[in-house]
Amino acid sequence: MKFIDTHHDQWHTITGEDGPMVTLTPAPYSLLTLTQWHAIRAQWPANLPVGVSFNNDEEIETLKADLPRLSLVALHFPKWVDGRAYSQARILRSRYRFTGEIRATGEVLVDMMPLLKRTGFDAAVLRADQDRTAAERALTFFAGHYQGDVEDNHPIFARSSA
Amino acid sequence: MYQYTSFDRQFVKQRAAQYRDQLERNLAGTLGDDEFRPLRLQNGWYVQRHAPMLRVAVPYGDLTSHQIRTFARVAREFDRGYAHLTTRQNVQFNWIPLDRSADVMDVLADADLHGIQTSGNCIRNTTTDCFAGIAPDEIVDPRPYCEVLRQWSTLHPEFAFLPRKFKIAVSGAEEDRAATAWHDIGLQLLKNDAGEVGFKVLVGGGMGRTPVVGTVIREFLPWQQILVFIEAIVRVYNRHGRRDNMYKARIKILVKAEGPKFIADVEKEFKDILEHDVDGNAHLIPQAELDRVARSFVLPEGVTACPSTFNVPDDAPVAFKRWVERNVHAHKLSGYRAVTLSLKRAGQAPGDATDAQFDQAADLADRFSHGEIRVSHDQNFVLPWVREDELFALWEAAKTASFASPNIGLLTDMINCPGGDFCALANARSIPIAAAIADRFADLDELYDIGDIDLHMSGCINSCGHHHSGHIGILGVDKDGKEWYQVSLGGSDGSRLSGDATPGKVIGPSFAADEVPDVIEAVIETYRHQRAANELFIDTVKRVGLDAFKSAANAARRSTAKAA
Repeated sequence: MKFIDTHHDQWHTITGEDGPMVTLTPAPYSLLTLTQWHAIRAQWPANLPVGVSFNNDEEIETLKADLPRLSLVALHFPKWVDGRAYSQARILRSRYRFTGEIRATGEVLVDMMPLLKRTGFDAAVLRADQDRTAAERALTFFAGHYQGDVEDNHPIFARSSA
Repeated sequence: MYQYTSFDRQFVKQRAAQYRDQLERNLAGTLGDDEFRPLRLQNGWYVQRHAPMLRVAVPYGDLTSHQIRTFARVAREFDRGYAHLTTRQNVQFNWIPLDRSADVMDVLADADLHGIQTSGNCIRNTTTDCFAGIAPDEIVDPRPYCEVLRQWSTLHPEFAFLPRKFKIAVSGAEEDRAATAWHDIGLQLLKNDAGEVGFKVLVGGGMGRTPVVGTVIREFLPWQQILVFIEAIVRVYNRHGRRDNMYKARIKILVKAEGPKFIADVEKEFKDILEHDVDGNAHLIPQAELDRVARSFVLPEGVTACPSTFNVPDDAPVAFKRWVERNVHAHKLSGYRAVTLSLKRAGQAPGDATDAQFDQAADLADRFSHGEIRVSHDQNFVLPWVREDELFALWEAAKTASFASPNIGLLTDMINCPGGDFCALANARSIPIAAAIADRFADLDELYDIGDIDLHMSGCINSCGHHHSGHIGILGVDKDGKEWYQVSLGGSDGSRLSGDATPGKVIGPSFAADEVPDVIEAVIETYRHQRAANELFIDTVKRVGLDAFKSAANAARRSTAKAA
């Protein structure tokens, strides 16, 4: 799990005074809203790294065709107990074979780490008050799990070591 | 019984260690109470009216005598000397201080016990028929499938924060003793014409404020596919279930709102997993895995069929005859019976047992049932492996331990939640009402004359006492800060005796607490006057309708006479 320090993050959002800007100029490592991405994707140069922030009440299927062009998908937790983004991440990895970064944003807490990791997130922006050491420790409690996940697709009964 | 592997054992210990870390952060102030709450809930820790309540998982209701003794020890050393059996086959404690909770989890883990997913908006403990593996009407033994489901659902990373709680029940017999139609997913094992095993899959049943009976979405799903199919159901629910209103967040609301589209979405998701996902078929259950798990559920060593010669002698005590009639059940193995230890007796809340009684139950299990004991949906204990020639000795021992009330299936064998005496959610107390009804119907001859009847009582609309499915349902409601009780009639859990699962109908405005025993008596008297020969209560209610019962109940009003 990569813990994102927002002060030293190469990715940046494009925000104007009244919220996300609709007209924008392609720049590397832009993290766009879905609306911004839809407005500019026709003009976005190939090989210029771009990411999309995705809400958890939007259909992840709408992103499918664009995934080869995206280096980052940020999935949002408006409340940490709202588990929709876990399913979105799982579909991105298992169904669409997305290999870019999947980043958790919003209300991201220490005890979500094992769930994030196992559903396909590889980066997290911890909420400002969260302790990184505790988050790293949260990843250490279990040596293995019963069901398959994005890290190991096989459940315990289908693993050779089981 | 399922035998824990070293993996299983290590897993519950790791869970206990994880919980201790969370508790310590909470006590140190770095994990706030609001954020600790969902974490402790998923380990069974509620904060209740007086103290935290701990709900310990009893997977599909199956326990060893050692585990029962561990409950006795926890009740004695950490609680106030008693615990409660729930309708979902779990065991609850009421008085353990939260700062000792991690120690309790360690004690439980040493006995292969835990509180994983006994609360919270996640997949809860899978329940089943308390006669699984021993019932003569069994088509397929559900226990191996329950165990496979337990493993799959345990700490599933995608489904830990669903819109609302999610309950699965499995039945494998002709008779549905697991109330499957009342669950978020109800599974009925069956065989097709070719003799292959599969599941009839129901989805969207549930009680609460809007009682809904489950919808069949697959008539026959090959057993190998069950994990993938459930994954599809739960994923559709996780993505599309309502999260804006907790009273509309159960899957039943999604199923009702979307109708055929919900089923189509599930079928598409199921197909997508199998056809498009990386290793999408990895969760198809191989025969070898089912066989491995099933090896835990063979007959206990020393149990073999023997000629059935059991007859109750004419000169046997009447109490023994009654006990055999009500508490002793047919067994698929010749020479054996299943026996219910009744936890419905005068002076104790329905489903409660003291630490001493837990120890006594463990002793009975060791002496008469190869150390195995079950928790039933009706909040009693069941001994699954009793030799017919030991029934009399068991009866005498059960009497000493106050487990021998010969009332199984009768009016006083009521289902009851802890209610307002313990539960912070409850609007009204249920235990004193249960006690008043039990007092009123203390006469065994009268109870036997009334015959089979399901009386279910919940202290609030969350319906832990399954009032919707009672032939007589009692629901505690709160008006102006006072306790009132709504009475309904004609509900069914889906058993053959009760008919197709359906919620009961309310018979008028709520009653005052002191009116309830009279109302129940009036309803019962109406039945006794109206019934045809050998007609059960539920059948009379269905045949004559509610009006006669309503008028009788209204005539029992005193303080609420004006309102009615």
